Amino acid sequence: MISSMHSKKTSAQDLILKDVTVSFSGTTALDSVTLRVEPNERLAVVGASGAGKTTLFRVLTRTVPLQGGRTIVGGRDLYALSNKELKGVRRRIGSIYQAYNLVPQLPAGVNAALGEVGGMGAWGTLRTFLVGPDGPLASRVADALERVGLGDKADARTVNLSGGQQQRVAVARLLVQRPDLILADEPFAAVDPVTTERVFEALLDLNREGATLLVNLHDVELARRFPRVVALREGRIAFDGSPEQLSEEALHQIYAGDSRQQGARAEPADTRPGDPIPLAEGRDGISAH
Amino acid sequence: MVSPPTERPSIGGAVPRFSWKPALVVLVILGLTGWSAAGTGFDLVELVTNTRPIEKLVSEMFPPDLSAKTLQTTGKGILETFQMSFLGALIGAIVASPLAALATGEAPTVGASRGERLLRVVPYHVSRLVLNVFRSVPDILWALVFVVALGLGPFPGTLALAVHSAGILGKLYSETLEAVPARPIEALQATGAGGLQTFLFGRLPQAMSGFISLTLYQWECNIRSATILGFVGAGGIGQQILVSMNLFDYPKVATLVGTTIIVVLLVDRFSAAVRSRLVY
Repeated sequence: MISSMHSKKTSAQDLILKDVTVSFSGTTALDSVTLRVEPNERLAVVGASGAGKTTLFRVLTRTVPLQGGRTIVGGRDLYALSNKELKGVRRRIGSIYQAYNLVPQLPAGVNAALGEVGGMGAWGTLRTFLVGPDGPLASRVADALERVGLGDKADARTVNLSGGQQQRVAVARLLVQRPDLILADEPFAAVDPVTTERVFEALLDLNREGATLLVNLHDVELARRFPRVVALREGRIAFDGSPEQLSEEALHQIYAGDSRQQGARAEPADTRPGDPIPLAEGRDGISAH
Repeated sequence: MVSPPTERPSIGGAVPRFSWKPALVVLVILGLTGWSAAGTGFDLVELVTNTRPIEKLVSEMFPPDLSAKTLQTTGKGILETFQMSFLGALIGAIVASPLAALATGEAPTVGASRGERLLRVVPYHVSRLVLNVFRSVPDILWALVFVVALGLGPFPGTLALAVHSAGILGKLYSETLEAVPARPIEALQATGAGGLQTFLFGRLPQAMSGFISLTLYQWECNIRSATILGFVGAGGIGQQILVSMNLFDYPKVATLVGTTIIVVLLVDRFSAAVRSRLVY
């Protein structure tokens, strides 16, 4: 147990992407992206819709094929691992999504417990399926739900919860999993401001407790609360630095004039008078899909 | 000056405008219709003009035989049919579940090795093959096989229904499992969940209400099938209907068929009511 606790601190934390290229049927989603993230770092990834933010996260869980380059997670080449080794690495990665991605028919408590399901053997899985999580896991689930303010909702069917509550269950799943690396893909795009703050704080807590945190964001103001901001544009890294360096002009470069979107979008990016930062497609968090 | 008609925006109605492809399809359908009607001696005129045999049959059916003995035979036959259909659906569902789980197509892990892919593909194809054999042989043929192997009675009939139901339910279950929303599944896989875990916690809960609905529907189908399995000696009310037909005892046939229709309708209504109340 101690050794596994120890390995939790050393594996899957630092990330290195070297010349990573991903394309989907001819369209390049990521174009020779090179990025290094130190253990326990906290960074926001911004960019217009279609800039490659989600693909970047999918490369880090090996859910898209690479056309070129390497992905090193915790010192191991992710795309060279066997299925079993890959599962081991994935267990240390926690994900949270815009659409929550919980299993709607299961009780909230079981969804939260699923953060730990990757580590269960066949019997443990069957046991959890039939009679629910065992004692220690059940109390961790109860603690996690309590921490996100849903202590009384453990038995509620997830589909009956509101969007904000579902996102908090997803956070509880992270708290149960205690990952070394957290990938949050637009976690605030579909929730209210109060939930945003709550989820944000929970993610920061996990980061303070040792996890590396990567967050995809539409909201540039939220991104400014991170010590490091990486911006993607047309599948390439357009900016990598502190939020202070992220000038209005730089933002304009990142969001406006996307040559792939200009043809499709009749409305130019700067048609909103009085808005200091032109809101390009997707940054309102609605058209992100 | 009148503007040329081409300048008017042309939208068109719901019926597609003439083009060669649909026209050819319509021609093929018409051709097949004529050919099939000629081949089967399909003659509506004959049906409408020569009504005497039908009149004779119907008039001989009435009044139906409602004697205590016939009612007892009918009741016994209906109960047996009901039991056959229920057990057939239940055993079919139990056999279908593991086969469907194996027959569910799951995208291989990105970058998986050849061996890892084979481990997935072989059980998938084997279970698909078994389900296809179960399903493509009609239940009445399965009944013939089991009657020859096990003798007359409702037991071979029940087995026939179970095997055929397993084939149909297995296919429908696996399609339901494949069609569940993918994002929760991907979220589970992203945290390192394996095949069993993804199935039990991701696919199964999302497919469960679909399974129940499909199983109830299969039970309805089994009730209808079970009524004719008796024709090949596999038990149920069909056996009584065949015997009475052969003895020209049409009033008894009327009672048997009438009761069958009522029971089938009742089961349909019950099953539909349950299915409409299923929570998704």
